[in-house]
Amino acid sequence: MSEQTPDMGPDTGPHAAHASTGTYLKVAAILTVVTALEFGSIYIRALTPILVPLLLVLSAGKFALVVLFFMHLRYDSRALAVLFAGPLLLATGIAIALMTLTGAFLVFGR
Amino acid sequence: MTSWITTVDHKRIGVLYGVTAFGFLLVGGLEALVIRLQLAGPGQRLVGAETYNALFTMHGTTMVFLAVMPLNAAFFNYMIPLLIGARDVAFPRLNALSFWIFLFGGLFLNASVLVGSPPDVGWFGYANLTSKQFSPGHGVDFWILSLLILGVSSMIAAVNFIVTILNMRAPGMTLMRMPVFAWMTLVVQFLIVLAFPPITVGLVFLMFDRFFGTRFYDVAAGADLHLWQHLFWIFGHPEVYILILPAFGIVSEVLPTFARKPLFGAPVVIYSGVLIGFFGFGVWSHHMFAAGMGPVADAAFSIATMLIAIPTGVKIFNWLATLWGGSIRLTTAMRFAVGLVGLFTIGGLSGIMHASPPVDLQQTDSYFVVAHFHYVLIGGSLFGLFAGAYYWWPKITGRLLDERLGRLTFWVLCIGFNVAFFPQHYLGAIGMPRRIYTYSPDAGWSFWNAVSTAGAFGIALGVLLFMIGAWRSLRTGARAPADPWDGRTLEWRTSSPPPPHDFDAIPPVYGRDTFWREKYGGSGRGGEGSGLRNDTRPGTLAAPTAPLAEHVHMPGGSYWPVLTALAMITTAVGALTGLAVVIAGALATVACAFGFALEHHRNPAHEHQTGDLGVDHRKVAMWVFLGSECFFFGTLVATYLAYKGRSVTGPEPHQILNIPLTTLSTFDLLMSSLLMVLALAAVQRGDRWQARLWLFGTAFFGLVFLGFQVYEFAHFVQEGLTLEGNLFGSTFFVLTGLHGGHVTLGVIWLLALAILDLRGRLGARDAIKVEIAGLYWHFVDVVWIVIFTLVYLVP
Repeated sequence: MSEQTPDMGPDTGPHAAHASTGTYLKVAAILTVVTALEFGSIYIRALTPILVPLLLVLSAGKFALVVLFFMHLRYDSRALAVLFAGPLLLATGIAIALMTLTGAFLVFGR
Repeated sequence: MTSWITTVDHKRIGVLYGVTAFGFLLVGGLEALVIRLQLAGPGQRLVGAETYNALFTMHGTTMVFLAVMPLNAAFFNYMIPLLIGARDVAFPRLNALSFWIFLFGGLFLNASVLVGSPPDVGWFGYANLTSKQFSPGHGVDFWILSLLILGVSSMIAAVNFIVTILNMRAPGMTLMRMPVFAWMTLVVQFLIVLAFPPITVGLVFLMFDRFFGTRFYDVAAGADLHLWQHLFWIFGHPEVYILILPAFGIVSEVLPTFARKPLFGAPVVIYSGVLIGFFGFGVWSHHMFAAGMGPVADAAFSIATMLIAIPTGVKIFNWLATLWGGSIRLTTAMRFAVGLVGLFTIGGLSGIMHASPPVDLQQTDSYFVVAHFHYVLIGGSLFGLFAGAYYWWPKITGRLLDERLGRLTFWVLCIGFNVAFFPQHYLGAIGMPRRIYTYSPDAGWSFWNAVSTAGAFGIALGVLLFMIGAWRSLRTGARAPADPWDGRTLEWRTSSPPPPHDFDAIPPVYGRDTFWREKYGGSGRGGEGSGLRNDTRPGTLAAPTAPLAEHVHMPGGSYWPVLTALAMITTAVGALTGLAVVIAGALATVACAFGFALEHHRNPAHEHQTGDLGVDHRKVAMWVFLGSECFFFGTLVATYLAYKGRSVTGPEPHQILNIPLTTLSTFDLLMSSLLMVLALAAVQRGDRWQARLWLFGTAFFGLVFLGFQVYEFAHFVQEGLTLEGNLFGSTFFVLTGLHGGHVTLGVIWLLALAILDLRGRLGARDAIKVEIAGLYWHFVDVVWIVIFTLVYLVP
């Protein structure tokens, strides 16, 4: 696979040294395999007790791969990671609280 | 006139915000006076119950969204670039777009009054009072659409100011060297970016309930009316800080200037502001103690609410310590700033009372609460805004205000305000409920209501005196020097008013209060004298080595912001008049968006936008926007899961979802992300053939995904799953449909880039444009990864 040329446009800034095409293809292959695993896991009865956490972990892994490699967050300024990860974590917390308060988890009950 | 309509100058846009918002403040004030006249005595018949409901709804909505927020925005616009040593904001045309959307949104809301159908459900619009069943007219529709429009304006502005503050500071101005007002502005912009998506989702649900018959707030279908309260207050409580933190920032500039001391513990004041913003997201349910959430939730939100008082109290002590031992000049601005410290403390203390659920249960929906939040929003926000107005008026207009009239204005406002609102604590304590349009003479509320009404007219007189002072200043006021208050921050370093390019030379920054140090050395304390500086030469104290102003490139005017805003408002008007107008407005919006985007596509002056973070402005903006989108889709997904299994009729998800098919569409979307990164790499290395191939390929894969979605939707409708059929249908179609809408926008964006490439207008130097489109596309992809798991796979 050809490595990405360093001849980039002037607007891409000093943090624009992104991954190679080979890396992108590997990430795409992993995403495909994980998606197939997700699909297959729902049909395996033995996985039922751990199915939800398993699916959440696989989904989080795919999410991280796309964000880190395709969105270049692994190679870009840390400030961008903070700008994205902060709201993402806060939104996740509020979403969990919202579901809890509306009784979705029945943790606190009414 | 044309130059004002097309202006993209942050100072002019600041003036436009200020004048427009002040106009809306007068409208909201007049509504308040009618409310107070109606309640001045028992059994009054000035207005009927329905009109009264409309009055308090319009008053609350106007004051929050059309007066205080945009008055804050006026100061953000005018002062932030000057305070951080920038020539303008990061995106001047987007800044103009924010203003025009705000103006048209405000006019749209008030048009409801002109057509005789104002909203009458309170500024909080609790479900299910807002349903078609209980509010059959167009009033709630006006309210929903205008809030959505105003939300767009706020979001655009917030992203713009975050990028401006993070990426456009003067050399040497580290984050901790920024003025506190800039810091509070930054915190507020993050609050806007993160708090508006939940209310947007709540409003979208309400709009779909009213326009398309979905069941989000239909108890008979299994819905939980608390959902609206949660979504509203997840926004609503941070909104309180959106309204008050700018005033805290202003006071933190005014007090040190007129105490001739540095702000005591400035870093702590900054950290406190950040903590207030952060905790602000964890206290929303204290507005819902009366809703019956259970003891654990009540305790958690009670503790969080008490915690937030700590950083707020820290600020108050820091302001007091700033005054302690200072060489105080009691100018009008200083009086308002000190007034804020006192009056906000009263409002803050009554707020802490509400943190206790048992106490809150007694005070909820009583006039005690009305008194509390007016002490926060008038005693706090508005007094802060008046402090800012008197402080920065000379900088903005180049004229001085009459200080004697200013002092009179302060006292009339201060006394009027306390006479109007302090008795309301007592009225609430003796049982007067909110939102009643009349009361019996036997209730025992007559005297203090009469007093309160007299106070309200005192406030009106104070505002009138301010207007007289402003008018006289503009006509005959003395010329203001560059630095009339012997200020500490960079805005006083340039002329009053500043030139279009703000500074002849961008001033270097060596520490906090750098201009003060420049004048007096490093002590931070001032020299002799305590009055106004008499140096009236324009441009005084600007660097003598400044390059000629004509060498500074400033962006020219543009019609696209006002045209785009007009097209958007046409779409909203169409929602109330007819589908044809909606389609025309939407098409016009897309056309204007293209005109907007392509106006400076190849303008060399717009190429290099890398700032302090070492990242292009546009890329920072996109990441901030994506952070906001996390909240948007997080709220949608949380609602889907909260309502999962609550439908009282079928079909259920497991009966209808086609997982093999969706796995294929998921794979398709994931692969589109691969093509997207290949397209970016090709554009970056100038390989036009591959760039074109991968861009069209990405768009094609996006279209295939949309094709899957259309097939799935059509199949589901055939199987009996519709938007209005049950809760599952409502939540599923709105969640996946809004994601599909994002994909559609992405496809349009990618096709536009591919067409640009076909026409030879997309080279390596345009790679950043492909990169930000790619970021958006990948985000749409990761959202689908979450939806695929939580909606389709998790049983």
